[in-house]
Amino acid sequence: MKTSTFPTIPRRLLLTLPAVLFLLAFFILPLVDNGLRSIVQADGNGITFARYVQLLTDQFYLTSIAQTIALSAAVTVICVLIGYPVAYYLVRHAGRWSGLIIFLLIAPLLTSIIMRTYGWQVLFARRGFINTLLVQDLGLLDTPLRVLDTPGLVVAAFVHVLVPFMVLSIAAVLQGIDRRLEESAQLLGAGRLRTFFEVTLPLSIDGIGTGSILVFMVANGSFVTLVLLGGGLKTLPLLIFQQFNTTRDFGMASTMSTVLLVVALVCLFLQLRLVRRGGEA
Amino acid sequence: MTDFTRRGLLQTGGLLGAAAFANLPLTAAAQAGEITVTALGGIWEEAVKKAFVEPFERKTGAKANVLLGSPPQWLSQVEANPKNPPIDVIIVTPDLAINAAKMDLVDTFTVEKVPNLADIPAEFTNALSGKGTVFDYGVAGITYNKKTVKDPPKSFKDFVDRTAAGEWTASLPGISYAVTPIMLMWAMARALGGSVDNIDPFFDAMKKMRKNVIFWGGPNDFFNHLSSGEADIGIYFDGRTWAHVDAGADWIDFINPSEGGSINALAVQKPKNAKDLAWEYINVMLSPESQLKFAEMLSYPVTNKKVQYPPHLAKRFTPWQEAHFPPYEEIAKVRAQWVDRWNREVGG
Repeated sequence: MKTSTFPTIPRRLLLTLPAVLFLLAFFILPLVDNGLRSIVQADGNGITFARYVQLLTDQFYLTSIAQTIALSAAVTVICVLIGYPVAYYLVRHAGRWSGLIIFLLIAPLLTSIIMRTYGWQVLFARRGFINTLLVQDLGLLDTPLRVLDTPGLVVAAFVHVLVPFMVLSIAAVLQGIDRRLEESAQLLGAGRLRTFFEVTLPLSIDGIGTGSILVFMVANGSFVTLVLLGGGLKTLPLLIFQQFNTTRDFGMASTMSTVLLVVALVCLFLQLRLVRRGGEA
Repeated sequence: MTDFTRRGLLQTGGLLGAAAFANLPLTAAAQAGEITVTALGGIWEEAVKKAFVEPFERKTGAKANVLLGSPPQWLSQVEANPKNPPIDVIIVTPDLAINAAKMDLVDTFTVEKVPNLADIPAEFTNALSGKGTVFDYGVAGITYNKKTVKDPPKSFKDFVDRTAAGEWTASLPGISYAVTPIMLMWAMARALGGSVDNIDPFFDAMKKMRKNVIFWGGPNDFFNHLSSGEADIGIYFDGRTWAHVDAGADWIDFINPSEGGSINALAVQKPKNAKDLAWEYINVMLSPESQLKFAEMLSYPVTNKKVQYPPHLAKRFTPWQEAHFPPYEEIAKVRAQWVDRWNREVGG
């Protein structure tokens, strides 16, 4: 019988070739190109690390990096706090309504992020729905609340966009937890709260981890919400957008995006360690 | 002796006929020519087709294919293949036009090549070193809500003082918007006694106004600020204001500040090595008839001196002499510094 001239492993590897080529062409090569741009001098002659030095020593840019991390972290924590109870209800109590709840969770994702962000403007503008209600209709306030252009609203808008990712990640893991483990804990005398904190929560930590990574990474790279809602925050993605759109300083934009990538990878590493430790506990 | 059969003759005749038929349109197109021109999307594309492409094709019998996109993209395409540019006529913002001229990517405009250039004020061609000309423009000035601002400011100075006094909330272009260094920073600094070399008056004004100012990230954003009541007034474009008025927002109005707003123009250029037929198209673009049609469709003024606007447009349009053409080249040198200073001092 004639045997294949291809050994087994190379043939398997062959199947991964399209994905590898795709990643190489659209991820690795652009990343290398980006890295090179960040160290090539503006006149194209020679190498410089001045942009990195500026970015990592100038107080303004350091504050920007800190704001980027703080914003993403705040959004992630709030998404966990809101998303977990929703996911828990969805898996344990929604019953036949679970389909409807999932639809309601996903439906906003079908709307453009710009439209959803404009929605906040309509609600909280000086003569928007909320202020009209509080000042004119109910007479509870003398002057309208200034909500737009504040960091709080930016966080709320991010949470609005990203919380479905958290809910779905946690729900998927909660669904897979063996209920008999919780029942055993309760049979052994643990109350409902203790069962939750010592059995359910540790077992669902992978869902929280997945959701947190998703939410953190998306928030870490977003700028549209900040452009539209302001809030006085100067995050790195916003500064990168400025370098392309306003100053056309592509070298600095590349430096910023490389730093942002490193920040994201460090945060990803820390989150994974945290999740692993939580899972082991 | 050659044997001619009836079938053979019919086959040969048929093949010849098919070949001739197939070749006919190709020959006609080749004789008349074909060029690629550019347009922004939406109503812009429609206006380019009606005002420029149709009369060009009627006049020359040639075809003009319209390529949609944006000026930086078209310029990059020309830059990538300067010996055989894929585009014959590009529409660009003046700063990009100056760049293209510096890089020697575009041809020089002369009245011999473009007879209608004689009717375009020389300032619009000289500003681009003769390597193109401005064909339409808008002015960035003060747009306001007529219902809430009964006595609008007439000057930048008045606007700054009354915004600082808290008479209204103003919506200004944010620093992430590409034109902000020109339409706001330079224009306001100039009006308040500064210049490209002295931007301090603008930052001093911003310091005074900051607590009563919000920022828009894109042109539609400004209109949302006004319609939602978040702001009452701001710095915006005349043409876009009129487009909103025509769409039913008759509660807004526009004022060109007494010191003069900044001109935001669009220029036309012919890449080097593009087809000579492009000159004919550019000549059509600059003709009074095409320019008037374009102005009527877009509500933006045009540059041909012979154009006579109908009264409703004449009332709206700011004559270019009452606004200021920004020194793009000088601004480009300090733009990054201005943006950096804004980030540190203004935020937003």
